[in-house]
Amino acid sequence: MATTSYPAGTLPRPRRSIVPAGVLQWLTWALVVTLVLGPFLPLLYASVRDRPLYEVGGRFTVEPYRELFGQRAFWHAWWNTLQFAALTTTLAVTLGAAVAILCTRTDLAGRRAFSRLVLLPLLLPSLGMVLGWTAVWGDGGYITSFFHQRLHIGTPSINTIPGMSLVEATRLMPIAFLTCQAALVRADSSLEDAARSAGASPLRVLRSITIPMLRPALLNAATLIFTLSIAVLGIPLLLGVPNNIQFVSSYLYTLWTNASSPDPGSVSAGAMLLLSVATFLLLVRNKLIGAEARFVSVGGKATRVAFLRLGRWRWMLAGAIGFYLLFTTLLPILGLALMSFVVFLTPLIPPWELLTWSHWQMLNDGVFRNSIQNSLIIAVVGAVLATAFVTLATLVAHRSPFRLRRSLPFVMLYPRAIPGIIIGIGFFWAFLLTGAIGDWLRNSIWGIMLAFCIRNLPLAYIVMYPTLARIGDELDRAGRAAGAGWWTTSRRIVLPLLRPAMFAAFILLFVELLNDYDPAVFLVRPGTEVMGATMLSEFIQGAVGPVAALAMVQVAVTVVVLLVGSKVFNIETTGGRDA
Amino acid sequence: MPEISIESLVKTFGAQRALDDVSFTVRDGELFTLLGPSGCGKSTTLMSIAGFQQPEQGRIGVGDRAVFDAAQRISLPAEHRNLGIVFQSYAVWPHMTVHENLAFPLKVRRLKRSEIRERIAGTLELVEMMPYEKRYPHELSGGQQQRVALARALVYSPSVLLLDEPFSNLDAKLRIRARSWVKDLQHRLGLTTIFVTHDQDEALSMSDRVAVMSAGEIQQIGTPEDVYRRPANRFVAEFVGRVNVIEGVVAHIDGGRAVLDVDGSDHRLTVPSSGARVKERLTVVVRPEAMSVLPVDDQTSGTNTWDASVHSAAFLGDHYEYELEAGSLQLIAQTARPVDGARIRVHIPGDACSVVE
Repeated sequence: MATTSYPAGTLPRPRRSIVPAGVLQWLTWALVVTLVLGPFLPLLYASVRDRPLYEVGGRFTVEPYRELFGQRAFWHAWWNTLQFAALTTTLAVTLGAAVAILCTRTDLAGRRAFSRLVLLPLLLPSLGMVLGWTAVWGDGGYITSFFHQRLHIGTPSINTIPGMSLVEATRLMPIAFLTCQAALVRADSSLEDAARSAGASPLRVLRSITIPMLRPALLNAATLIFTLSIAVLGIPLLLGVPNNIQFVSSYLYTLWTNASSPDPGSVSAGAMLLLSVATFLLLVRNKLIGAEARFVSVGGKATRVAFLRLGRWRWMLAGAIGFYLLFTTLLPILGLALMSFVVFLTPLIPPWELLTWSHWQMLNDGVFRNSIQNSLIIAVVGAVLATAFVTLATLVAHRSPFRLRRSLPFVMLYPRAIPGIIIGIGFFWAFLLTGAIGDWLRNSIWGIMLAFCIRNLPLAYIVMYPTLARIGDELDRAGRAAGAGWWTTSRRIVLPLLRPAMFAAFILLFVELLNDYDPAVFLVRPGTEVMGATMLSEFIQGAVGPVAALAMVQVAVTVVVLLVGSKVFNIETTGGRDA
Repeated sequence: MPEISIESLVKTFGAQRALDDVSFTVRDGELFTLLGPSGCGKSTTLMSIAGFQQPEQGRIGVGDRAVFDAAQRISLPAEHRNLGIVFQSYAVWPHMTVHENLAFPLKVRRLKRSEIRERIAGTLELVEMMPYEKRYPHELSGGQQQRVALARALVYSPSVLLLDEPFSNLDAKLRIRARSWVKDLQHRLGLTTIFVTHDQDEALSMSDRVAVMSAGEIQQIGTPEDVYRRPANRFVAEFVGRVNVIEGVVAHIDGGRAVLDVDGSDHRLTVPSSGARVKERLTVVVRPEAMSVLPVDDQTSGTNTWDASVHSAAFLGDHYEYELEAGSLQLIAQTARPVDGARIRVHIPGDACSVVE
């Protein structure tokens, strides 16, 4: 063979990047830290001033805290919140773990379909779902009345703490499901096979091996669900307040909207307290995740999953899960749809006698039309920007020599623990304090978009990181050795491989940004309304029909985007170009 | 092709010393191997040369240029060292065709299109991968991916080639072919090459010189024959091939030879030795294939021929292997022809014995 054709001789030096990698990494880091942690400084400051920050003067005081702590109603709201969170967590984790075990370790009929369907409640617009629940399960709801009048059985009210827990638990159950499912798929099923060979019955294996192996995942999911449920705002506002049950979040919201003097410091004080609790829970969770490594069974390729044979329970349990989905997801959506098409919702008159288009027609103008437009713009632009930003930050965090990179994952995950209303109040103060830029953000939808994006950063990171971790770092080292700098290597080698994850992050961010609402209730002004916040305020004013129509818009867009997204995403991942 | 000089590299991970004063020089055009068990520091050394790890002390010179010098705070980023590297996983970029993989380093160097095409063609011809230019990595076998990785490391005429366990993902037969092929290529191109492996067969068959490493230190540097036949210490002897270890005390000196009272038996062993003193303890190593096994009634040779009992015998295709017991001393001997009987005689040639530290 010819050896002469091998070209020898030195080549020109590799080209250097225009933007030095170090500068880019510094900027990314500084931006992440400023945007995530920035809003809390004004919040803290506002909670120790004797007047709102925009007023001249003011001095240090602990009066807001004293005032807040002196109110019995505040402590009562805490007590309600804790009961609610504890009950929600128990329900969601038990259900989620059970369904996860059924879908990964047994021959349950339709387990593949179920493991996708049970995720739906987490992605559907939460506020709309609560409305749907009231339509079918509320005091005057269809099913409630049916049970009451035809069968003469009372159903538990969803306007009580256990009732609200049930509603919230069905929404958060997918988190427990996903965590347990991931742990079960990762766990080597030969551990269970070994127990079977040692003579244990399938149920014994479940009790002695599978469930103990799940313990870290259960703890992890429980902490997260607890944290999320102490912060929820829609449920207490829509279900609790009418029945005189206040949670911390709704208490602060009411305090803010009904205050005699605007923007009371005690709300900031309450927000600080909530923030401390949430942060504490996040730190606990980080400890737990660290401990999880001990339980990860090393080795074992993607082995065949040993199925526990259910026998005739195979269909009965499938039926039970089917009924669960029917009652908690499908019926509320149908109720919501019905609500949007009738003059008023009552089981006493057949709905076809009350049909009307007027609710849908109302979406065409004023605040409703504005909200839809704004929400769509925020969802598209925000999802693009946040995906790009999180991608860059994830690269800096895991694929750069940057000195402070290890702090980034924590900072990026932090907003997950922060109640939405706190992000709202924090950005409200931050915009007030940052002069012209703040004014511009405050008076346009971009401020709300920023708050929504920051709140959902963790989601994008959670989607992005596992894919990045699977891309071997020898691939970028090979790029560096070939003469490319950090940025060129990232752009030409890592980013193309990260594309499926970026796409998934974009889809999820779009859905979340479209449906998010609680940070916005402190930020909306005339002209910058978004769907969720409008639904909340209009519902409180009694405009149920149009709100239901608006919620149906959210549900429809969400379902379509998810369907399209999962189709395209599947094609991407099975393209066979995986490393 | 320049010479590579590594001077006193020190690198610690926490309390552990990954590199403890590592120094060596790789000559122009030489294939130099770092051999050792996992965790011995060979990969850390290679990654320090490539620029992916930062030692705390020492100097790395390529030609007359220092790419790393702790004292002068010089550390060129990896992309400015102009080294070619083949990784254990090959790290062929999965989203690029073979052509695009090879074009990347050339585009980074702003070469003209025609020149890029020419260079890629020449390099692919060299690794016999011309027909696969348009393929994606997942359409190639492991061996072909490895050739692409090598081609990508060669296409920009790097000053040095670094190979990080490049054969460990190939199956046994392919591995042996790839070895001689890479060695041949390296020799023809005259590339200064550093090769990292934990496989002694690879190290012995390919290298011009071998550095045996353990626990962050270099134990011995020498030609394959040197490290195999004249291991500097017991670690090298035991790591490079199999070995019998015999310990004993010098009973007397006889010319250039020391006569040992062997531990655990009443036999004596005569070994070549310069500078050993009476009553000194010596450790002697001898390769199993250097020993001869004789029938028990064979009385031809006196020195270093002992009675032994056969503990087990195994047929291994091209040779027989005996586990022997002489007193409480256990020995392994390999021989081409079988010897019958539960008791035999074993001969240990004196010049096959090496005294080690």
